[in-house]
Amino acid sequence: MGRKKKKASKPWCWYCNREFDDEKILVQHQKAKHFKCHICHKKLYTGPGLSIHCMQVHKETVDKVPNSLPNRSNIEIEIFGMDGIPAEDVREHERQKNGGKSDSDDDEPAAKKKVEIPLSAPPPMMMPPNMMPPMMGQFAPMGMMTNMPPMAPMPPFLGPGGIPMMPPHMLPPRPLFPAMATTSAAAVNPAIVPQKPTFPAYSNATISAPPTTNNPSATGNSAPPEGSKLPPSVPTGNATGITSKIMHPPEDLSLEELRARKPKYQQKLTSSNNHQQRISTSGSMMQNHNAAVSSSSSMTIPTSSSTSSAAAAAQAAAFSKAQEVSAYHRYRNHSQYNY
Amino acid sequence: MFGQQALGGTTAAPSTNRMNDFEVTMPPDDSVSALEFSPSTISQNFLIAGSWDSSVRCWEVEQTGKTVPKSMKTMGGPVLDVCWSDDGTKVYMASCDKQVKMWDLASDQVVQVAAHDAPVKTCHWIKGSNYSCLMTGSWDKTLKFWDTRTPNPLMAITLPERCYCADVDYPMAVVGTANRGLIVYSLENTPTEFKRQDSPLKYQHRTISIFRDKKKAPTGYALGSIEGRVAIQYVNPVNPKDNFTFKCHRTTGTAGYQDIYAVNDIAFHPVHGTLVTVGSDGTFSFWDKDARTKLKSSETMDQSITKCAFNSTGQIFAYAVGYDWSKGHEYFNPGKKPQIFLRSCYDELKPRIA
Repeated sequence: MGRKKKKASKPWCWYCNREFDDEKILVQHQKAKHFKCHICHKKLYTGPGLSIHCMQVHKETVDKVPNSLPNRSNIEIEIFGMDGIPAEDVREHERQKNGGKSDSDDDEPAAKKKVEIPLSAPPPMMMPPNMMPPMMGQFAPMGMMTNMPPMAPMPPFLGPGGIPMMPPHMLPPRPLFPAMATTSAAAVNPAIVPQKPTFPAYSNATISAPPTTNNPSATGNSAPPEGSKLPPSVPTGNATGITSKIMHPPEDLSLEELRARKPKYQQKLTSSNNHQQRISTSGSMMQNHNAAVSSSSSMTIPTSSSTSSAAAAAQAAAFSKAQEVSAYHRYRNHSQYNY
Repeated sequence: MFGQQALGGTTAAPSTNRMNDFEVTMPPDDSVSALEFSPSTISQNFLIAGSWDSSVRCWEVEQTGKTVPKSMKTMGGPVLDVCWSDDGTKVYMASCDKQVKMWDLASDQVVQVAAHDAPVKTCHWIKGSNYSCLMTGSWDKTLKFWDTRTPNPLMAITLPERCYCADVDYPMAVVGTANRGLIVYSLENTPTEFKRQDSPLKYQHRTISIFRDKKKAPTGYALGSIEGRVAIQYVNPVNPKDNFTFKCHRTTGTAGYQDIYAVNDIAFHPVHGTLVTVGSDGTFSFWDKDARTKLKSSETMDQSITKCAFNSTGQIFAYAVGYDWSKGHEYFNPGKKPQIFLRSCYDELKPRIA
């Protein structure tokens, strides 16, 4: 239980008390979670920025910073990363980090604690009972999360910084990580998937890894069933329940293959091909070819002489073949490429 | 039904140049299927476009944004891919006619250099440390390597399925196939299969592009599928969480119905390492894969964006607007002409520093 941070210098988000390894990630987090316009999903840079954007662009008032703790929802305060955090809050955070108080305690000044606890009470329902209150700060926002943005929440969010926040019995996956790093993404899946039910699907906490990394790995894992339903499945429902339509023919053929079948292109093929083959039998093309052979072989001699490997030998063999110009012409004119 | 546009049939159509970019003069007559800028070995910028009209066109792009048509070649069928040789003197053109031809720009001559048993979907020039060759991928389920002077391939590799997309950045090559196949090759010494990977995506692979690490060595790839999704994959991920997928090219249609469009092309910025995706929905988006953020998304074009490319210095972003067949031939409107646009993009693709 007694998770003690060795150093208190990790950047943290004033709005939700989350810690990050890197201030850059913190800024990304704030833009994505707290400064994103709920109407057009534009990411602003600060709370006031968001407020002004919504006012000017959408004529809407935003009075609270989205996904923030109840006592940290002030949209007037200009906070960017770690800049602009009220000094007292910094001190308070520092104090907690240093384990001045029992770890089961507040992220907030005592006076505000009362407000916070009832409000963040609902999330703990899905948390294991031995969850530590400091996690609330993390979990509080996730209920607010609606659709996934086009770019899903990013793994950096869930870096090591997030892992220690897991209750002890969730820790087992951790030792797996070094091992997984060497294996393919698919290997992660079994480890992560079983945990998933414990958490809401798109939580932004530690486990929000699945939405991003799962996509690739899930595909890999369930490839056979997926593959079988592949061809005809044009309309699909996706995770968010929105019906969607893939604007692509249902056949498992590329657009180019379908297009190339069209008489328009087939005709071109047959007619012009015969034509060209004929032309190419006549002298001009042969001469060109000869010219090309001589010029290009002289051009590449340096390359082959500079090499000593098998490739050089192969090239040498290829050269000798290239001398058989007449053979080539027979090939070109009589090979299977008749239409 | 009663939109002003529908009624005003005689008024000039609204500009299809939604982003106010430079339009390339004399574009192909049919959709652009391949788009490539000349390599850094030549000082000027040349743009090559292959098209479903079987043509391959070459323009010189001037600093002013002006494009000067230089030359054009015709293949025996729709062109599916083009690539440059490393020295910028030649262009290789892969076609539905099952051939690949080499276009020597200096002499303006064309010779066949490769052949498959089915249309050739991809071609890439490999500039190795001890060899150079052309890699071609075809719907005949083979990947072949050509010396370009001999009728027989130096090497042929059987693929599990038809080749749909490929990319090469020596010493790495990746191939995406039908049925969601994904293979990484090592090109060192001789091309060898490095690793077959389970697809990170659930739908048909459509485009793939290799990206580099900070030291400019190829380290992973972005794979786009028809289901508006891109997977960023590292060949040897330090942490499995390095790999991720993101959604793109989707629009919310009526009544909460979401329209999901194919990712038609992906390109990485040669300097910043950020990327662009273009989609069937007619938009392009700039992304920073490291910050995992979208940098910019474009207005919606009149038609799909079929291909895109950066020039070697990363100053110019070219994208081709045209029909990509995603709604079948019924929706092919010959009245809508394909277009290619050039955009000054260097600053827009800079990663944002927080």
